[in-house]
This record gives sequence, structure tokens and C-alpha cells, in this order.
Amino acid sequence: MSKRATVIGCLLALLLIAGLALLRHSGANREYSSEQFLMDTLVSIKVYGNDRETLKTAVAEAYAEMHRIAELADGFAQPGTAAYQSSDVCRINAQAGKGPVPVDADTLAMLVLAKKYYELSEGAFDVTVGPLMDLWGFGGKNPHLPAPDQIKAALRSVGSQDLVLNEQDRTVLLRKEGMKLDLGAVAKGYATEKALQALKKRGIEKALIDAGGNIRVLGQNVHDSAWRIGVKDPRKSNEVVAVLALEDTSAVTSADYYRGFEAGGKRYHHILDPRTGYPAAHHMTVTAVTQDAGQADILSTVFFVLAPEKALQLAEKLAGVELFLVTADGLIRHTPSLRGRLEVQPGAAYRYDQSR
Amino acid sequence: MTRADKFLLVGILLASLVSGTALYSRFFLDSAGAEPVQAVVTVSGKAIRTIALQPGARSSFVVQGRRGASKVEVDGMRVRMQQAPCENGICLKQGWIEHPGQSVVCVPGETVIRLEGAAPLDAVTR
Repeated sequence: MSKRATVIGCLLALLLIAGLALLRHSGANREYSSEQFLMDTLVSIKVYGNDRETLKTAVAEAYAEMHRIAELADGFAQPGTAAYQSSDVCRINAQAGKGPVPVDADTLAMLVLAKKYYELSEGAFDVTVGPLMDLWGFGGKNPHLPAPDQIKAALRSVGSQDLVLNEQDRTVLLRKEGMKLDLGAVAKGYATEKALQALKKRGIEKALIDAGGNIRVLGQNVHDSAWRIGVKDPRKSNEVVAVLALEDTSAVTSADYYRGFEAGGKRYHHILDPRTGYPAAHHMTVTAVTQDAGQADILSTVFFVLAPEKALQLAEKLAGVELFLVTADGLIRHTPSLRGRLEVQPGAAYRYDQSR
Repeated sequence: MTRADKFLLVGILLASLVSGTALYSRFFLDSAGAEPVQAVVTVSGKAIRTIALQPGARSSFVVQGRRGASKVEVDGMRVRMQQAPCENGICLKQGWIEHPGQSVVCVPGETVIRLEGAAPLDAVTR
């Protein structure tokens, strides 16, 4: 009889453990996801946790942060509208050559970050690229190839040496009339990071934010392993050229396949080298991997504009920054620190340089 | 060991098997093949149509997006945007999608076609 009691005891204990494990497993894996169109792209946020209401609130707060940053950085708001009033970028541009403009702390933070990378990249990255973007028409519906003398003239209004940031008074000044900020390579990443911080504040430990291909992951995926993030094949629309295994970090890509047009048998895309005024031509695609999505967004543009060797050297110099790239002639390269977290799928179209 | 004890032992083994299967079924399901199960069409973040995909089944239907009507085509286990009212036509150029997790996005029309199923990737950076 005592033997039977032991066996019954064991059986009950086993069922209890299994039950608890199941409960924990299903609870922690509850998924809540939602998507919104903002900043001219599709943003999707996926979070995991125990309580649906908390997940929902966290995602709503994350989107609210993104909307707030989008409004501050909106360069296309029309004068006289509410959107124009809440856009720091529009107000700074309107006051170019006239006087400093008081701005939100986040606008200042974005510009401080942008100017840091302007200096670090020796001008390969520049948020005052607005006059060039307007000249090429990349903000509108009909981008076109400008004449060389037009580009030369627009270049005179580009240069972050004339972007004056007063952190004490929290003001921003564009020194010369005709200068214009374009936060296209900054705001989406910065907003993504803000959204992620909002999720963390609500205690979320697992999340994925996909802001039009700018990826930020928090923690590990639902299977308690690294998130598997593909890098889009720059020449085949539904294929990937590599897969990254990422935890609590971001991956942002700049590539030549978006927002382009053809003229005289040549294709032109929208990532301009602010030093020459023409689209940067060294790469098909580059992916910057680093924890902060704002930094990753800027770095992806920096690396895209720099020549491959220079880009890789800079990435290796920066702590916690990794880089994957496909050069214009189809060579796949990456920083050595990415090895072990990267599966390259070069196929027949690309060569893979593993020497680095 | 009495007969009842033997029954209990068998019971324990069965219980272990059942709870073990329950615990790991998620894993098995998630790692099963890379065929999509269904296509979901959303407009402005709201799901407006779900299509269970079946080999050989063909259909097409019209979706009212923010910029007007788009036409979605289903061909067995793959889906594409066949017609769209926007000027850039990025969604049309993308062609067919056939793997779980892939999506066709029309930003001006705020229309998304997404393939659901056991996705091999969590996301794609682009």
C-alpha cells in the first residue's frame, strides 16, 4: 500500500509540474502585434508577455512615441497647418539664415547625433542635404537628373559646419539662407529606438519592431533563441542574401533599390553623397548592426556612402558596431565580429569574401 | 509489485508522454515545413480578408485601399498584387510571394498582403 501511495504521489507531482510548465509556457508566449502606416512606411510591432492589456498599452505608447518624433521631423508639412507648427524641422528650415529656433529635446538629440556622424565620416553623412534632395526631386513624385551646374549650386547650401546646435538654450540654427534639413536618414531609426524604450518601460522583455525594414529586437524570440533576421537580396525581390542571428539589437539597411529612376540608360537612387551631390555608387546594400536603432539608421547611410574598405574600417573602429555589405560589383563582405551570428547565402549572383 | 501498481506505472508513462507532447507540440508545429497556411489582407492595419491557401486553387478579388481599388491574385500557395492604383507600383513589381512571413506592402494604399504560417525568419531588413 505504501508503495502505491508513493506511485500516486509521483504521478500527481508529475502532472503538477507538467501543468505548471504548460501554464508558464503559454502565458509568457502570448503575442500581441499591430501595424500602422507612419513616416511614409509600414511599421509593425510584435510583443510577447503574460498580460494582453499590458501588451496592448505598451504597443499604443510605442506608436505614440513614433508619431511624436515623426511630427517633429516632418519636413513636408505645409505652412499654416497644425503639422507645420509641430514640426521643428520645418521651423528650423524657415528660419535658415535668420535666427536660432527653440526645439524639442528629441529634435536636438537627433541633430547632435547627426552632427557627430557628420564629423566622424568627414562629411559623407550630412542632414543638411535638403537642397540636394529637393533638386533631384526625391521627396516628390517626379525625381529627375539635374544639370551639373545646378548640383554645384545646391552643394553651396549643404554642410553641417553651418548647423549650429546650442544644447544649453536648446536652439538650432542653420547659418545660411537656403540651407535645409532632411532627417530622412535619422528620424525613423530614432523613433524606433524611442518606441522600444516605451515598450521596456512597460516591462516588455521580448519585442520586434519592423519600421519599413529597419529592425529593432528586444531580448530573444518566442523560442528563447536569437531572432532570425534576413538581409534582403538587393537584386531579387523576395529572396534574402544572408541571415543574422540577433538579440537585443537593431539592424538597419541602406540600399540602392529604393526610390530610384532611370535616365539615359542609367539608374539613379535616392542616397546622395553630400560631398559630390550624386547618388553614392559603392554598394548595392549595406546593413549596420548595433544596439541603438537611431545610431544604426545613421550608420547605414554613412557606410553606404563610404567606399567598402573605409566603411569596414570605420565599423571596426566603433564599439558595438557591425557591418554587412554587398559591393556594387557583387562582393559580399562583413566585419569579422559578425562571424558566428551570420549565415551568408550568396547563391550564384554574388561572391563571398571571408578573408576579413 | 501488484497489478494495480503496474496499472499506475503505465499511467505515469502515458501521462509523461501526453504532457511531453503537449509541451513540445508548439516546437514541432513551428518547425514544420515552409508552406504558408493563409494569406491575410489588411487595410490601414485592419484585417479585411483571410484566404486559406490550397494547392491548385486560383482566385482573385478586389480590395478597397486608401487610394482606391487594388486587385489581389491567389494562385495555389502564392499570392501577388495584380493591379494597384498608386503611381509608383512598388507592390506590383514585387511579384509573387510564397513563403510564410513574406508580405506585399502598398504604402500609398495602406494595403498589406501577408502570408502566415511557420515562418523561417522573424523579419527581413531592407
